[in-house]
Amino acid sequence: MVENDNTENAQQFMQEQVNNAFEFWSSKLKLPTIGPTYAFSKDFSSFANDFVTLGKAMIELKSNMDSYWSLLSAAYTRAMRNTAEQAPMQLATKEDYENYRRAAIEAFEDTFTDLFTSSEFSQVYGKLLGSQLNVSRVVQSIVEKNFKMLNLPTRSEVDDILKDIVELKRTVRDMKRSVDARNDQARIAT
Amino acid sequence: MRGMTKQELQPDQKKEQENVQPPQSELEELIRKEPTLAEEILEAYRKLEKARDILHTAGNIGVGETPNEVLVEKRAYRLLHYQQMVSKTARTPILIVYALINRSYVLDLQPDKSWIRSLLSQGFDVYLIDWKTPTAADKYVSFDDYVNCYIDDCVEAVLKKNKVEKLTLHGYCMGGTMSTMYTALHQEKIRNLAVIAPVIDGQKDFTVIGNLAKNMDVDKMLQVVGNLQSEQLYALYVTLKPFKQGINKYLNLLQNVDNEQFVGNFLRLEKWLYDTPPIAGETFRQWISDIYQKNLLVKNEMKLSDKIVDLSTIKVPLLNIIADEDHLVSPQCSAPLNDVVSSTDKRLMRFHTGHVGLIASLYSQNNVLPKVGQWLIARSQ
Repeated sequence: MVENDNTENAQQFMQEQVNNAFEFWSSKLKLPTIGPTYAFSKDFSSFANDFVTLGKAMIELKSNMDSYWSLLSAAYTRAMRNTAEQAPMQLATKEDYENYRRAAIEAFEDTFTDLFTSSEFSQVYGKLLGSQLNVSRVVQSIVEKNFKMLNLPTRSEVDDILKDIVELKRTVRDMKRSVDARNDQARIAT
Repeated sequence: MRGMTKQELQPDQKKEQENVQPPQSELEELIRKEPTLAEEILEAYRKLEKARDILHTAGNIGVGETPNEVLVEKRAYRLLHYQQMVSKTARTPILIVYALINRSYVLDLQPDKSWIRSLLSQGFDVYLIDWKTPTAADKYVSFDDYVNCYIDDCVEAVLKKNKVEKLTLHGYCMGGTMSTMYTALHQEKIRNLAVIAPVIDGQKDFTVIGNLAKNMDVDKMLQVVGNLQSEQLYALYVTLKPFKQGINKYLNLLQNVDNEQFVGNFLRLEKWLYDTPPIAGETFRQWISDIYQKNLLVKNEMKLSDKIVDLSTIKVPLLNIIADEDHLVSPQCSAPLNDVVSSTDKRLMRFHTGHVGLIASLYSQNNVLPKVGQWLIARSQ
């Protein structure tokens, strides 16, 4: 728990530092929002914002990755200790080696399965996955801006079209079924 | 002591030796057979090389070889109809709904471990829905599409082909869950529901998958990643029995590399394990969010399109087959199906095996399938 608190404090501290740096440079580099510099000012601040967001997401990812590895590393240490307790002390014969292998596999299996089924691991894994997705989301947002500049359809626009197509397919399916049902009723009636 | 001959021993030692040691000729034989360290290293190297060659050709091994014809083929699925092996004794056809994880040929992995072949040999008419690989365009395909469109179309095709009004719906794993949803919504077309290890009560799933599902932000996953990619599923697989199945099985392969039957079994299962198509994004979101996190299915609150999936409306005969050692779907997660349905004819069969052992093993052929066949045949006339 103490380790988790420390990680969260470090993460918060890093985020504050990044925010301070961003605010400092934003004020220094501020350009007039009217006249010929308007478009440049708008684009510059938008891209700068994206890169700072990316930096924040990467710091968050690093911090969650550290928590993840610390859990794995602690489990590895426990598994090694259990192996040492259960495995033969001397490795003189083939059977000793075979027994060592069995004891090691059992110890590692039990320790890591306990870890993977623990609520602590579930939370850390969830945070790690979430922060990986945050990094991807920021990168996607940067790429989308560039696509817009090239007048190409963006991923979000294609996504909207896909959603519409699936909805249309469902509507057609339901209409087809209701027509079939009506035809069946008419056939029975005649 | 090993190199000492009988003549070199003292008389009392000699007497003791004769009491405890095998006769001289056997001892010499044993000494002669004991390989030297160099020979053992060479043997280990030979096995390693052979195992490497075997693993390189793993993809070529034949699976799913029971003769069948494609009855319907659409962008999302193929409906397979298997050739009769004996004269048909069951009037009601069986439609198998496979899961959306990995490929359906695990139900027909090899002739002596084939779930489908066993049903055919018991006189059933067997159909299988073989799901195709979803593409990026299928990101928003949901359970509504799978259940109310794809499965329904297959049910209609089987009923039409067999000229019957009802069939047996038989689902495995996630396919069992979808079969249950379908039966709740379209009961008039179902004579029996037979499910193998279905996910029903997500809160009672104590497996690694159930645990990891609790904290997954699946809405964000759908938005950022779209379909759940194979690599993400592989990352999940390594957390399931990581050492017994992740490392030990390869050590076992090395030890049994000269046993053709062992190698064949190993390769077929290995091929299936790593033949993992993506899962449609919206379907995966519903799977994790609605079934595991919110547990809507067992609460009768899950919605497909605008219809509520109410499991208590199910009245058809139900067979629920579960495995005590299942590390992918807890038996406690599958068993509640029998408590929530209204069927009077319902049976829960428990077997002492695992998730895959339940359907693709000699244990399954000898212990599971005869009982399943008996249950089905009594309700298929």
